Amino acid sequence: MKYFGYKGKILMINLTTKKTSILEITDEFARKYLGGNGFSARLLFDMIDPRIDAFDPTNVISIMTGPFQGIYIPTSGKYHVASKSPLTNGFFDSISGGHMGAQIKYAGYDGILITGRAEKPIYIFIDDDKIEFRSAERLWGRLTSETQEMIKEEIGDPTISVSAIGPAGENLVRYACIITEYRAAGRGGLGAVMGSKRLKAIAVRGSGTNEVADPEGLENWLKWYNEESKKVPGISSILPTYGTPSLVSSINNIFGAMGTRNHQTEYFEGWEGICGETLKKKYWDKDMACPACPIACSKIFSVKEGKWKGAISEGPDYETLYSFGSMCGISDGGAIIKADSLCDEYGMDTVSCGVTISFLMECYEKGLIDKNFTGGIELKFGNDDAVIDLIEKTAKRIGIGDLIAEGSLRAARIIGKGSERFAIQVKGLEIPGHSARALRGMALGYAVASRGGSHHDPRPTGEYAGASDRKAVEGKAAWVIGTMQFTTIGDSMIICHFLERLLGFTLNPKYVEMINIVTGFNYKFEELVEVAERILDLERAFNVRTGIRRKDDTLPRRFLEEPIPEGPSKGMYTDEQTLNKMLDDFYTLKGWDKRTGIPTKEKLIKIGLEDVAKELEKL
Amino acid sequence: MSIVIAQQKKPFIRFDPQKCCFCKICEFVCAKYHYGKYGASISRITIVRRGIKTLKYFICTRCEKKFCIKACPTKALSYINGNIVVDEKLCNSCGKCIEACPFHGIKLHPETKKPIICDTCNGEFQCIKSCPKNALTLVWLSG
Repeated sequence: MKYFGYKGKILMINLTTKKTSILEITDEFARKYLGGNGFSARLLFDMIDPRIDAFDPTNVISIMTGPFQGIYIPTSGKYHVASKSPLTNGFFDSISGGHMGAQIKYAGYDGILITGRAEKPIYIFIDDDKIEFRSAERLWGRLTSETQEMIKEEIGDPTISVSAIGPAGENLVRYACIITEYRAAGRGGLGAVMGSKRLKAIAVRGSGTNEVADPEGLENWLKWYNEESKKVPGISSILPTYGTPSLVSSINNIFGAMGTRNHQTEYFEGWEGICGETLKKKYWDKDMACPACPIACSKIFSVKEGKWKGAISEGPDYETLYSFGSMCGISDGGAIIKADSLCDEYGMDTVSCGVTISFLMECYEKGLIDKNFTGGIELKFGNDDAVIDLIEKTAKRIGIGDLIAEGSLRAARIIGKGSERFAIQVKGLEIPGHSARALRGMALGYAVASRGGSHHDPRPTGEYAGASDRKAVEGKAAWVIGTMQFTTIGDSMIICHFLERLLGFTLNPKYVEMINIVTGFNYKFEELVEVAERILDLERAFNVRTGIRRKDDTLPRRFLEEPIPEGPSKGMYTDEQTLNKMLDDFYTLKGWDKRTGIPTKEKLIKIGLEDVAKELEKL
Repeated sequence: MSIVIAQQKKPFIRFDPQKCCFCKICEFVCAKYHYGKYGASISRITIVRRGIKTLKYFICTRCEKKFCIKACPTKALSYINGNIVVDEKLCNSCGKCIEACPFHGIKLHPETKKPIICDTCNGEFQCIKSCPKNALTLVWLSG
């Protein structure tokens, strides 16, 4: 290829036939879709029949890198996984930390596409151009950390990268994740798709290299980064010292926006037990980082005394302190460290798991379900023993765990009695710890995001920082589009969204500069915006083919009808009329049909997706 | 008459596993300094994580015993000014030095098939300079 950062090859693996082949990536394709998220959006739109169940063998798992993997640019130590989600039924992608991205690149590929279903549990070992299908029967049922260790032992090389599922993925928990080291491709149930294919793990060893188009430009950029990042407290001191738990005290106390007891309120009185300062003081062992990241926001926490003594985890991160902490009414940091560790080891998304348990706690306290339903468990807010017990039951689908494994939306449909109004999810994906009521952009963003309740489609950070007025309605659609353009480009390059504090909360020319240094595309800003729109609209087109329309772009009824009852954001919410106004603005700016929410033919042709327009016309 | 022998010093890169956060920036910059591109296989330092928080590093320690030099059948390795130096003309790429090194401080370059060993980046110690957590430090040992 004439551009840098690419290998020009995607490895295609069919688990049914155990055949592999190579898909060539052209210069034009790379320039048009950039990598990671963009490659997956295009390839999965072309490869997946939108009508299939996510567990159908023909579903495809796309494991991608971007041009930034395997080089030194801060925060590029990531990789991307995408598939049709068993939780949302839509296009779903998740970014994980770990050396896997670099290894794939060094092995000579830009990504891996996996389809089919193995007859018996297997794992794949990719050793440059040698691909082996190995038995995973002795690994089946194993936790994610021991699975990785056993594979490294078997291959006899501790430097390889292994991405594995745990029992939750094997048991098709709808939000099972994929774990690399102790980082997760966390959301949307991509681990369950792997489980449905009887694929326990992927191990990769690459002896190759990656390089950039403009090494001198990169040197200068790194100098700029080193200087400028010092001026950004989030990157230079807060995340390195406390990690994302630092968000607890600000989001809870300054914004009153930390969903508590299933969002019955958004101020958690027990915040002190789970805030960054407490975690650092009581539980901190050491800092960890994704590869190529000098920020090192990840923390190893362990419990030194008390009920949960001995629990150790990389994390919890902020979202887990929300989902298992304020949401479940638990203020004991030790219990959350234990919950985080169990979710990592069983291979489950902490957000969906905690939020679903929180939903059931409200059902229980309201008398919609009783002890017969819970299997004798006193499922009240604050019952940390019950939560810890339920994590294992969920991963193994035992008792009520079988229901929790389905996620909050499906659970609500089974419980009925009006519970769906407080199932905290959008399109089936549980909403993380960034308030849809206190942040107007997140109200619109969650409603329209391809993934549903994800804080990595729209971003909350700019509203916290005051770069966009969190109460404003006017201009919010443009803001949300800007943040989504940034996240989709960030997920295609691939870099960590935390760089937004330095590079800007919405897509801007700083991202163009970085991409041009690495790839040599010589993009103009307008072309990058078009790439972003192309990827976002492809995701939407994928979802449109699964039946998603404007009516689905909404929020839980609780968020549309009940103001935040107390605290700094008391009274705030986005009612249906306001949401509709923002949706109108959003569709208009996007060039989507206001009535249906489908991208218009004109828009798709404008961004070079004429073939997609033709596909959508068939509907 | 007194003879003064200048004390020879050798550099030793010390590793603090408590400070190391497994970012591998040392590996990236090592490869970049020597080859202008990035790759774990061409880094002369290697960081390995086992379990949740055990970190190890592998690099030439300039050890007393010089296992690699003794193991080389073609006398391609020698110790010059504190570094193990490879004479690529003499090297037959047999890999005996790699097997002999108990510190796992030597790799074969995947393309040239010649041993690659820490050379201090000509005294610039890129790994030490770039470590964001100061987990790598330089000490001078006698010898």
